[in-house]
Amino acid sequence: MTELFSDIFAGRNDVLTRMDARAKVACAISALLAVLFSRNALFPAGVFAACLSGMFLVRIPAKWISFRIAGPAAFALVLVLLFGFTVGVTPMASGSFAGIRLTLMEEGVRRGLLLGARVLGATSVVLLLGAVTPAHRIFHVLLRAGIPAEWVEIAMLVYRYAFVLLEHAAEVSAAQRVRLGYSHPAKSMSSIGTLGGTVILRSIDQAVRTHEAMTARGYTGSIPFGPMASMGRRDRWVAISVPLLFLTAWLLVGRGQG
Amino acid sequence: MTVPRRGGIAFISCVAALLCFPGRAHAMHIADGILPPAWAGFWFLVAAPFLVLGMRELRIRSGREPRFKALVGLVGAAVFVLSCMPIPVPTAGSCSHPCGTGLAAILIGPGITVVVASAALLLQALFLAHGGLTTLGANLVSMGVVGAYLGSGAFLVARKVRIPWLLAAFLAGVVSDWGTYATTSFELSAALAGDGSMGSLFLPILAAFAPTQVPLGIFEGFLAAGAYRLIRTRRPELMDLPQEEGAV
Repeated sequence: MTELFSDIFAGRNDVLTRMDARAKVACAISALLAVLFSRNALFPAGVFAACLSGMFLVRIPAKWISFRIAGPAAFALVLVLLFGFTVGVTPMASGSFAGIRLTLMEEGVRRGLLLGARVLGATSVVLLLGAVTPAHRIFHVLLRAGIPAEWVEIAMLVYRYAFVLLEHAAEVSAAQRVRLGYSHPAKSMSSIGTLGGTVILRSIDQAVRTHEAMTARGYTGSIPFGPMASMGRRDRWVAISVPLLFLTAWLLVGRGQG
Repeated sequence: MTVPRRGGIAFISCVAALLCFPGRAHAMHIADGILPPAWAGFWFLVAAPFLVLGMRELRIRSGREPRFKALVGLVGAAVFVLSCMPIPVPTAGSCSHPCGTGLAAILIGPGITVVVASAALLLQALFLAHGGLTTLGANLVSMGVVGAYLGSGAFLVARKVRIPWLLAAFLAGVVSDWGTYATTSFELSAALAGDGSMGSLFLPILAAFAPTQVPLGIFEGFLAAGAYRLIRTRRPELMDLPQEEGAV
């Protein structure tokens, strides 16, 4: 299950993983804002295409991308259908389904397309950021951006121990399945409760051991973060020019209604 | 733009189609891009005071007990893992997942649960494409704030009226899960209503979620009760769980 985390690709050596995390976060935030404020489906669709190209450029497997995008894509499709059938006054097409007369409205389809494109565009931006940036670098950026150190520390612990607990959960779940723990609904309910309890109990035991190990290594209540290396010239240029590029593209394409 | 009367039926059909989509239906969190900027900002503002309160409580408790931060991090990881578990929901023919915040709230308190939920939601958005960064505030309000406070409240009220603790934990899980989905429905209807009335969307969205979420809420109740029973019987001293009389 741990291979599902997108930052498994962040350890590679390519043009995007080498870039300073601050520059990537600045680009991602500007892209997200531009997508969110766009009033034209073309702009978020373009961002989606650009992010997909970026993922292919750094050789992220197509299977993994499609697995991650499938949920948002299905949601985008539903939004188009939802608004198409419920909003608007100008009929585009009509038909009947199971005795119900359905009419697709032009205004609704436009609104659904805009929302669907925004979902795909924004999701692909976050997906690309997560796939090319290791978690600890994102946490470091958050800390430098003024997020309280305690929160960043908790987030780091959650991230670190999610992997450990996922393995515990998978082990216990597999053992339960072998012993027919999910053979009928009543037994499944009991098994899932035991699984949840076991995962939490192990997490508590792990917490005690972790704290002892951290104390032995000099932990005094907060995890120290070293200073961030200064941003290279090229990364600084990216951190300024890409957001400006998004702003320009938004002004030219995204601002007007499509 | 108008919303025709028959729209409700078509709406339910469409959203039900999503819920019946094969594979994992990540219906729990609102994805990036759905909420307009004003609504996204509004939900961040609603979540902020609860997060500040949770952080304050975390600082106080970790000041008293240095091990507490590690424990909170691990409970947060447990919430993360529980909310990553795909669970088949036969009525909808799809998979969904519990939120785990009801259980976390009765173990570490609702304030700190908001903090761990925020961390889990950020990680899910960044590394699992589940939820989103711009919708973090809305998702935190539904899963972290409402889920945790309703779950914890249900547990406390149930214990006050002398309901056995196993049933109280079950109720905490159910109420927390259903509260989360009701809030998500409210957030979606508020954001998607556009020119139409929000009320006209809220009930259809709630109805569309129902085939998945009603059984899932009950399932989460069993999860909370089972997990609470296990912790209470095996390691009560670790969580300072009260040894009430009349326990089942």
